[in-house]
Amino acid sequence: MSSEKPLLHSVYDGIEEHDNHLPNWWLFILWTSIIFSAGYWFWYHIAEAGPGQLGEYVAESAEVAKRASGNAPASDGMLLALAKDPASLESGKQVFQANCAACHGAQGQGSIGPNLTDAYWMHGGGPMAIHKVVADGVVAKGMPAWERTLGAERVKAVTAYLLTLKGTNAPGGKEPQGEPEQP
Amino acid sequence: MHQQRIIYDDTTVRRFIIASVLFGIVGMAVGALAASQLAWWQANLGIPYTTYSRLRPLHTNAVIFAFVGNMMFAGIYYSTQRLLKTRMASDLLSKIHFWGWQLIIVAAAISLPLGFTTSKEYAELEWPIDVAIAVIWVVFAINFFWTLAKRHEKNLYVAIWFYIATIVTVAVLHIVNSLALPLSGMKSYSVFAGVQDALVQWWYGHNAVAFFLTTPILGIMYYFLPKAAERPVYSYRLSIIHFWALVFIYIWAGPHHLLYTALPDWAQSLGMIFSVMLWAPSWGGMLNGLLTLKGAWYKLREDPVLKFLIAGVTFYGMATFEGPLLSIKSVSALGHYTDWIVGHVHSGALGWNGFMAAGMFYWLVPRLYGTKLHSPKAADAHFWLGTVGILLYMVSMWISGVTQGLMWRAANPDGTLLYPNFVETLLAIRPMYIVRFVGGSMYLVGFIMMAWNLWKTARAGKAVDGETTVVVEPPAPTPVAEPVPAKAPTPGWVQVVTGRPLVFAIAILTVTMFLGWAKPVRAVVLMGAIIALGEFAWIVTRRDREAGRPSWFGLIEGKPLAFTVLTLIAILIGGVAELLPTIMLKQAVPAHGQAQEPYSPLELQGRDLYVREGCYTCHSQMIRPFVAETQRYGDVSRAEEFIYDHPFQWGSKRTGPDLHRLGGKYPNLWHYTHMMDPRATSPGSNMPPYPWLAEQRIVVKDAPKKFALMQRLGVPYSNADVDGAEARQKAQAEGITADLAAQGVQVAWDSEMVAIIAYLQRLGRGPQDLPASPEKSPAPPNRLPAATIASEEGR
Repeated sequence: MSSEKPLLHSVYDGIEEHDNHLPNWWLFILWTSIIFSAGYWFWYHIAEAGPGQLGEYVAESAEVAKRASGNAPASDGMLLALAKDPASLESGKQVFQANCAACHGAQGQGSIGPNLTDAYWMHGGGPMAIHKVVADGVVAKGMPAWERTLGAERVKAVTAYLLTLKGTNAPGGKEPQGEPEQP
Repeated sequence: MHQQRIIYDDTTVRRFIIASVLFGIVGMAVGALAASQLAWWQANLGIPYTTYSRLRPLHTNAVIFAFVGNMMFAGIYYSTQRLLKTRMASDLLSKIHFWGWQLIIVAAAISLPLGFTTSKEYAELEWPIDVAIAVIWVVFAINFFWTLAKRHEKNLYVAIWFYIATIVTVAVLHIVNSLALPLSGMKSYSVFAGVQDALVQWWYGHNAVAFFLTTPILGIMYYFLPKAAERPVYSYRLSIIHFWALVFIYIWAGPHHLLYTALPDWAQSLGMIFSVMLWAPSWGGMLNGLLTLKGAWYKLREDPVLKFLIAGVTFYGMATFEGPLLSIKSVSALGHYTDWIVGHVHSGALGWNGFMAAGMFYWLVPRLYGTKLHSPKAADAHFWLGTVGILLYMVSMWISGVTQGLMWRAANPDGTLLYPNFVETLLAIRPMYIVRFVGGSMYLVGFIMMAWNLWKTARAGKAVDGETTVVVEPPAPTPVAEPVPAKAPTPGWVQVVTGRPLVFAIAILTVTMFLGWAKPVRAVVLMGAIIALGEFAWIVTRRDREAGRPSWFGLIEGKPLAFTVLTLIAILIGGVAELLPTIMLKQAVPAHGQAQEPYSPLELQGRDLYVREGCYTCHSQMIRPFVAETQRYGDVSRAEEFIYDHPFQWGSKRTGPDLHRLGGKYPNLWHYTHMMDPRATSPGSNMPPYPWLAEQRIVVKDAPKKFALMQRLGVPYSNADVDGAEARQKAQAEGITADLAAQGVQVAWDSEMVAIIAYLQRLGRGPQDLPASPEKSPAPPNRLPAATIASEEGR
């Protein structure tokens, strides 16, 4: 307010102009952002002291892999045990409804994907055989690989839940596909 | 020496205002409909022409080019004549400009819902319309510069600088980004592919915001705000600094739309740091607007015009703070692809553009019709309705964007995704979509009230044209600020070229350029040199000013040609520095990408349908290098995977999931079911159904034509490929129909459904992902169906 500069002489259609100094805080933002930018460029692209985006990704992946390493690998025995654990089955059921039901039906009776409640299996009906299909998918048939997205624990839980669906022969089931399971 | 009476052409101004208000209502109504479709999918109405993915481009184009475009022309035509004390040079050109622009808008409004689109955002219009835009823009430019030549005012006021920047830059952006080879009357393919296309597109896209939605409106602010406030502009030197900084820096900022994509790191970093450096220059404009009101703040209370203008400038300040913030890589990692960006653009579009337009209209219309505003009360109500509407819109989009961004990356303790199902993250933000719809609708209602108010005002008065008198003949002794070298010993152009600000700017830029290749030690020396040069420039400037030497800026303000050329150079530097190396890279990429196989004929046809339906408005095809993304979507996207993508389809928003690794993820039947009824496979989805794809047929004979055109664009199809395209197309299609038929679904082999499934099944799959074909089939591109059939048989 104090340093009101005199008006310039020029008048454009009645519009006059002051020639005030630039506010200091504005100059501060201007210079700070320029110095920051120069420093940023120097750090990442001249000194190459920081990782590029793929370098960051590799580091992040390693970190996540380390966190997941605590998970025990799946086995027939473990999956059969989970199939008797109500807490695991409840979580497996939720995973199934959210991710699998769209293709395999709410009861597992099959629609786009095969019937999971009959005695026929295309890739084997044993706990680890089912686990493998869920985890790694069957690309040629359009079964997605779920372990990447759902994580190992949820894949185990949903496999255990599938073991309980086996042989329930849900009503309206899709016609059998694959081979009858060898007992 | 005699007096000359000048009558301004205000008829054109009135026409542009009417068009702006009219198309503003249409554009915003389409926006409100599109917003409702995201909350309630049934609002897509089940027909192609009203489906979200076709309406969204219509909304953006209508609001940007029809609403703001016409508003900008009204403001420019009105203020330019008065600032230069002359009538527009040619009434005929003004007429051609007006009617030509409206024709373009009508053509856009018809062609976009019909599915004629290039899929390049804010540049979706197909090539004949692009040509028309270029022609009309040139007409406008001729009219404008001719008027400059006829002016009765020696120097150019700051508003005119911004208009000049707008005219030259929009021309450059539009022409480069629209370069394409036509296939037919309404279909063309971008000459750029993949990364190059993405960079050119966002160089354009960001600067459409900069030079279509910002610079002309700043010019308008510099005229109408001091007029309405009856106060002098706060600072002339601030206007010089923020103008030149803005035009030079803005053009570099485009790559901030592509952070963490397959764009090279260095280009991303340039986009980020130049966006950060834009903060102060942008706020320079805001300051010059706000501080002009210094000592007259009380006027805000009674004058609706000032309310709108000041709120508009304030929203500009908010948006231009949020923009640099979002351009910081780690913030972009969270905000990109989410509604945060949608909220950001709307704080600019509704707050800055919409309110500046309203302020200008409320001030102009009474003057253009020689009367008073019909209802200042209604204008007040419009202001509050609009403000609350914008706030609801912005806040809901912040919440929605941050929520979804956090949900996408949320992880369990063991590092797996907390919300693996995409639809969960969509359902979480649905309430915010409803709030947004309400906010947007309130804004629209306010806008319609304005239309009514302006209409009543116009009816109460009658059209009057402004006029002035000027003294002509002997070299006009017009009052000019800076001493002008009319009879200076050195010619004008030498003074321009040897002006100290220019010499120092060039020196500093030249030194900076070498920074791009420097090693650390040399870089430190260069940076020292830049600082020394800057310091030196500052001292020299100060000394010159104290000595009362004529200002170089004052000199170029009297020379429109020099001013225009300098502006053009300022905007070209950033464009060339970023685009050229990336386009040069084109030669380098295929060396890595030899494993890439071009699309098969059917996949290419399907890709065109993906473009036609506007899938890119909701789906990205770019998986960023974050674990949360690779867990959800698959491997990180790489630049060489897109070398045959004319145009690129990376998208900018994920209302649905990323599709880059969709190929082979689901069976054909899943895609069929999903297209017919998205909720059958993805309960809770808000995607519109696309049942017409099963009914409509592809143009079978287009396959070889498309191949031949792609050949000309550099895609390595052989002549035999072109000749065999139809047969290959049929063979692949029959593979898919056979697979679907085996599961009880009958579709024609040449239906659009089959083509789009072929394309979707191809996405993100290099040949390296595919199992080796056991038998040598004569049609190698039969990859996926062949694999499917093989496994069907192997059952």
